[in-house]
Amino acid sequence: MSDAAAKPPVAAETPVSAIDLRKEFDAVDIAPVLEQLDRELIGLKPVKTRIREIASLLLVERIRQKMQLATTFPTLHMSFTGNPGTGKTTVAMRMAGILHKLGFVRRGHVISVTRDDLVGQYIGHTAPKTKEILKKAMGGVLFIDEAYYLYRPENERDYGQESIEILLQIMESQREDLVVILAGYGDRMEKFFQSNPGFRSRIAHHIDFPDYNDDELLFIAEQMLRDQNYSFSAQAREAFVRYIAARRQQPLFSNARSIRNALDRIRLRQANRLVSNLDQVVTSQDLMSIEPQDVLASRVFSGAPDGTRAPTGKP
Amino acid sequence: MRVTQGCFSFLPDLTDEQITAQVQYCLDKGWAVNIEFTDDPHPRNTYWEMWGLPMFDLRDAAGIMKELNDCRRTYGDRYIRLSGFDATHGWESLRISFIVNRPKDEPGFRLQRQEVDGRSMRYTTVSYAVDRPEGSRYE
Amino acid sequence: MNEQSMTVRGKDRYKSGVMEYKKMGYWEPDYVPKDTDVIALFRVTPQDGVDPIEACAAVAGESSTATWTVVWTDRLTAAEKYRAKCYRVDPVPNSPGSYFAYIAYDLDLFEPGSIANLTASIIGNVFGFKPLKALRLEDMRLPVAYVKTFQGPATGIVVERERLDKFGRPLLGATVKPKLGLSGRNYGRVVYEALKGGLDFCKDDENINSQPFMHWRDRFLYCMEAVNRAQAGTGEIKGTYLNVTAATMEDMYERAEFAAELGSVIIMIDLVIGYTAIQSMAKWARKNNMILHLHRAGHSTYTRQRLHGVSFRVIAKWMRLAGVDHIHAGTVVGKLEGDPATTRGYYDICRQDFNKTTLEHGVFFDQHWASLNQMMPVASGGIHAGQMHQLLDHLGEDVVLQFGGGTIGHPKGIQAGATANRVALEAMILARNEGRDYVHEGPEILAKAAQTCTPLREALEIWKDITFNYESTDSPDFVPTATPAM
Repeated sequence: MSDAAAKPPVAAETPVSAIDLRKEFDAVDIAPVLEQLDRELIGLKPVKTRIREIASLLLVERIRQKMQLATTFPTLHMSFTGNPGTGKTTVAMRMAGILHKLGFVRRGHVISVTRDDLVGQYIGHTAPKTKEILKKAMGGVLFIDEAYYLYRPENERDYGQESIEILLQIMESQREDLVVILAGYGDRMEKFFQSNPGFRSRIAHHIDFPDYNDDELLFIAEQMLRDQNYSFSAQAREAFVRYIAARRQQPLFSNARSIRNALDRIRLRQANRLVSNLDQVVTSQDLMSIEPQDVLASRVFSGAPDGTRAPTGKP
Repeated sequence: MRVTQGCFSFLPDLTDEQITAQVQYCLDKGWAVNIEFTDDPHPRNTYWEMWGLPMFDLRDAAGIMKELNDCRRTYGDRYIRLSGFDATHGWESLRISFIVNRPKDEPGFRLQRQEVDGRSMRYTTVSYAVDRPEGSRYE
Repeated sequence: MNEQSMTVRGKDRYKSGVMEYKKMGYWEPDYVPKDTDVIALFRVTPQDGVDPIEACAAVAGESSTATWTVVWTDRLTAAEKYRAKCYRVDPVPNSPGSYFAYIAYDLDLFEPGSIANLTASIIGNVFGFKPLKALRLEDMRLPVAYVKTFQGPATGIVVERERLDKFGRPLLGATVKPKLGLSGRNYGRVVYEALKGGLDFCKDDENINSQPFMHWRDRFLYCMEAVNRAQAGTGEIKGTYLNVTAATMEDMYERAEFAAELGSVIIMIDLVIGYTAIQSMAKWARKNNMILHLHRAGHSTYTRQRLHGVSFRVIAKWMRLAGVDHIHAGTVVGKLEGDPATTRGYYDICRQDFNKTTLEHGVFFDQHWASLNQMMPVASGGIHAGQMHQLLDHLGEDVVLQFGGGTIGHPKGIQAGATANRVALEAMILARNEGRDYVHEGPEILAKAAQTCTPLREALEIWKDITFNYESTDSPDFVPTATPAM
């Protein structure tokens, strides 16, 4: 199992000489996953293009293996760089689905971790923790968010180093058993790779996740509201456009996640507005409609940061 | 002799590929898989040493096979068994158990008889291996 | 046909004389059984000309409080509570002249924890009642409140497996043959060979007790020598069901105690010793850490015919309450009676904590067992290694497969026979767990295993054409596609 020159996933007894590409594409059934990705994620054109490229590459790789043109298992570890809230976790889930359908991971689940899940507090704690996580991720994808926190050069006895060594070893020797995706801010990941060239050399695919532009964020907001049976009134919509522009200038901005948090607070204010006047009959339209005052009451408009969530917090 | 405890002792020793399939069967059923080893294979030696804790919540056999191979590297001269534990109410016990590693030489057991009243007999089964201290029995 | 109540009420009810059962309060179509009621389902075949409702009401009456005439002493009791109530009568599908009668009994009619008391009511006088041509007890719903008054299986499947250290596969056994005539010394030889060859258990036959050719102490001593030799020779726990069936309880206790003294893990009794003796032995077994095997000797006299008697599923329920660990429950493919669907119903009753109503398996009621231990079903009679895939498919994993002739009749000897069975079993379990379609690929899987196991090759060859395909006399009345008359 731990042999580095592992067998390809679809090794055939005798090589085939020709393959119907469409049939093969249909057989692996990845089109629905790609479509789902298109549906789920607004914008992100370059990311979607990269995913399609990788999927194509893997499909070809699979066929090459059937024809015995490829003889070793490809390296599939990836890095996803970009600011918070740009869809890295969602893309990781879909990527796991694609890898599974193409036969490059056996189960297709995603184990999402951060430094705290991998690195221990005292001597002898780290190796079992890291190994435990790796065992759980076997057959699927290990998604390490803000991977650079594993490496703390300021403390040379930091236990993170031990975790890194185990990860590197497994990423090499058991690459047919799991795919590791390292994620985080672009600049910090770059520094991390500079200090840990072992990781860089094991990463086959880098994908950069750009920030959403204002129009995309508005679109995301309206979609989120629609999913919960709310909608902006025309003026509220206009107010929210201004909200996005203002929010982007403030610290801890995290793209779609900031939008989700803002909408949570807007719904609170809407409810509060409705309940503050009990002597009325409310219609379903009243319950669904977000009015400008629900948006404008945000502290963002007075220059204070809205909310207190850290940029890494999950929604 | 060949100790025939466990589910597959009458078959040729399982290959890693066969063991992987059995482990995956356990994981797909939602059972925790445990690795144990011993140098005292007495049929009533219930508690073999545990190679770490039972492994809960795994999806794929690869993680367990890695542990098994680590265990073999350290205790390859002894008996190693894998078991699948089902915590479902009404069972809460093992669902399967099978040997995956044996010492090269299995000396077997001596049957001691003690004649007591009438023609009655008291029987004691003793593993030849335990004549030597724990840890050096199959060197 | 569930028309209205005809019960006579008020002072007319207790006027001296004879009154129809259906008017005395034994037919109450509006009655909704309580959660604590015992419910019995009878197949009632009235004599020609007898009104089916009256016949069913009579069964309720005769199995509870009624006698043939009105008695004023009823009025000294809470008679309405104690009367069993037939609340539903359905014609049996495809069986003109027979009716399913559902009868509810108040829990206070029964002594807690006594099968003897339960059966004295439910199958007491009523089976000889003249207005009926035939009567069969098909199924019973035992309320949890009643189940909880019984000990249940002394050991249970889980603890039996833990004690034996055997998991993940059916257990293998063999009944020593010939049934009668072997001396203790010769008998022990068969046990040793079979256990050494790979079986987990050997078994006395139902009529091996203490006869001139072999007295019981001799048998126990030689058998335990065989068990211990085989255990040392394989490193695996072995057992042999020492049959302690005897003329009196005193004799049975004496034999059981001797078996315990010798270190046997299991003893055996026959169904013919009676319900009370069975319950006594179950208590003894719990106290002495002993697995208790029950041979259902005699049951076919009343379980086999569809029209009259007691269904084996009811016997299985009573035995689970009574507290035996093993019960012979059919093989489907072997030489003895056992339709696949009906047998499936028996196995579910032995092994599940909750039986869901499954008419196509003959299970008429939802039955909660309230964590009462599970019974290990035993499949015995005319089975061999070549059927391993079918046995596993029909009977599952928690079962003892007993290959008597299929072990001892092997041309290369008993050890070879035992090895053939064990290898066949392990190969089949391995294949099943690997996700193979073992039911259809069974013969291939066996043939492959036989490549490295000569005894299996020989077994497959000699018994390749042996099957027992006869019409079943006790198949379910409901087929899966039919809608039951409810």
